[in-house]
Amino acid sequence: MSRLNETDIQGFVLRGYNLPFARYVFLHFEDAARARALIGRLLPVITTGQHWDAGKPQSTVNIAFTHRGLAALNLPQATLLSFPVEFLQGMKSRAAILGDTGINAPEHWDKLWHEDSVHAWLGINGQSPAALDARCSEIQAMLEQTRGAIQLASQDAAAIMDDGKPTTREHFGYTDGFGNPDYLGVERSTQPGQGKLMPDGTWAPLATGELLLGYADEAGELPVAPVPHILASNGTFMVYRKMHQNVATFRVYLDEHAAQYGGGKEKLAAKFIGRWRDGTPIELSPDKPDQSIVKDSNRNTNFSYGADLEGTRCPIGAHVRRVHPRDAFGFNGRLIDRRRITRRGLPYGPPVPEGQPASDSDERGIVFMALNASLSRQFEFVQQQWIEYGNDAHQGNDKDMLMGNHGGKGKFVVQGDAGAANPPIICANLPNFVELRGGDYFFLPSITALGMIAMGLVDPR
Amino acid sequence: MPNQNGTVYGLTILSPIINDEKASPSHDLQIRNYLATLPTGEESPFALAPGTHLARLVVMDDVIFVGAPAIEEHLQSKYLIFESNCDGDLDTYLTGLAAAAGQHLDAVWSHCVGYPGAANRPAFVAYMKACQIETTFFFAAVNNKSVPETLRALQTQRAVADFIARHQRIEPAQLQAKFAEFVTRLESEPPPKPGSAGSPRAIKTGGRNE
Repeated sequence: MSRLNETDIQGFVLRGYNLPFARYVFLHFEDAARARALIGRLLPVITTGQHWDAGKPQSTVNIAFTHRGLAALNLPQATLLSFPVEFLQGMKSRAAILGDTGINAPEHWDKLWHEDSVHAWLGINGQSPAALDARCSEIQAMLEQTRGAIQLASQDAAAIMDDGKPTTREHFGYTDGFGNPDYLGVERSTQPGQGKLMPDGTWAPLATGELLLGYADEAGELPVAPVPHILASNGTFMVYRKMHQNVATFRVYLDEHAAQYGGGKEKLAAKFIGRWRDGTPIELSPDKPDQSIVKDSNRNTNFSYGADLEGTRCPIGAHVRRVHPRDAFGFNGRLIDRRRITRRGLPYGPPVPEGQPASDSDERGIVFMALNASLSRQFEFVQQQWIEYGNDAHQGNDKDMLMGNHGGKGKFVVQGDAGAANPPIICANLPNFVELRGGDYFFLPSITALGMIAMGLVDPR
Repeated sequence: MPNQNGTVYGLTILSPIINDEKASPSHDLQIRNYLATLPTGEESPFALAPGTHLARLVVMDDVIFVGAPAIEEHLQSKYLIFESNCDGDLDTYLTGLAAAAGQHLDAVWSHCVGYPGAANRPAFVAYMKACQIETTFFFAAVNNKSVPETLRALQTQRAVADFIARHQRIEPAQLQAKFAEFVTRLESEPPPKPGSAGSPRAIKTGGRNE
């Protein structure tokens, strides 16, 4: 397969920008003609997947729509009805399927999501707060001049800084953002462990159709997509989830259980996730963090679980093993190739250094975004089966330790061995370390499709 | 071996549904209607009767033509499909089903051709066996344990995990004493009822589940 047409694909789909500041703006369209005029104005500033030969830009802009948003833009009925049902319904209607119940149920989400009024998402990233603000003012001016949309709310997010330098750490202290999948035709610095596992133990890119609409997926089929083809092609679906982190609860829980655990606090923290907090895969280095592995792109995502079926190195229920099981289910890992997602996102809220008092009620968490060709087959499956349930991992009803909607029940088993430094432990009575505060499903169209929407050219016939 | 995986029996029954143009609603719809209201938890007929690991009832109207190069074919009748992963001897299983859930069986199968009723046990067993087709290949999640053994094992697993979580890192002598206490208590507990473990959910017809 030849290279993709990168100038027709939104850059947000093809690469993580690694720009440390972001603002996610949520829009509501009041009038279809004015909204289309706004999209026309935005079109030339939308960041595409084109190579950054002159280095990273100061800021980027991307756009995506809810199904209600596309309806408000007066897309033809025949097009609107041709979208996959889960996108048509939106994330709130899928709460029961996703396990977004109890404290995570939509009635507890931020007010923004109560009215079903979000029509579009603008993702703006910047190298500095000034660059971000400058780009946002430019967009604000377009909003005012076209009167194309009302800004309902915005969500700021930013990398956690160390001495003024951005890190990839999140609020619980884990280094995040390893190992997004590779896809055929997507030019990016690839590394072993990021695509699909081959029978000979090497890694190969996943089929393009696992990420982008209009291309063959891992089953050799075209993903379910709306008509006309040109509206869907080079586009994808995005999940947006704002996840609040109960940092105080996490720290107390870790301290209390570390006191009962012979391996020490940092090892227990590593067992929760499958990586030491500095990012070292525990599968590769079970006894201590090792920066030489973290910094080595040939090693930091290059591992499998075939030699650790008992979970004595990386627990079977550890987060990274659950959501990307690699070969843990046998068959050379082939059972998981249609369940991969591409992740984007940044933390929000002020970080609290270890040792300083933290509160659960502080506004603090992570904006999680996932990109995939099929919301139901990829994101929803991972959320339902691997986060909120444990059967595939032979963990019964146990949920993902950190992400699960436990409600004070449930357990996480750390498998161990006879060694004093690697004992087993059961962590029970799990609180919700993470709480859902809102989100939705979005369609992230190609540049061509955006132009068609702006000009009213979408024709399903 | 067909029909058998370990000690679990794979039962497949195809019963032709009565084709009566005058019946309104039609017999197949009456079956669908009844199945939609069938309880799924402890009150399920398959929980009331002994020996069912997993059961499925489906109304099959016809085979679906999926387009060329497939050949268009049709069934001679609509069928009720009954699939069950069950324990042991087929006669015993069917007799147990008739004894514990006769009313449900009659409500469903009375819409099928030639059904004699559950009250007449030998005729019922003979009818079901006449409708049986060979199960050539099937998947049994638990293939060498009976339903009571499986339920007891799940109960034990849950209780032991819970015990470990509550008694980690205590003195060996104390742990031993607590464990002995725990084992005695667990042994005296009745096994959980079939159908009691899962969270209750409504039966959905025509649902899509990838």
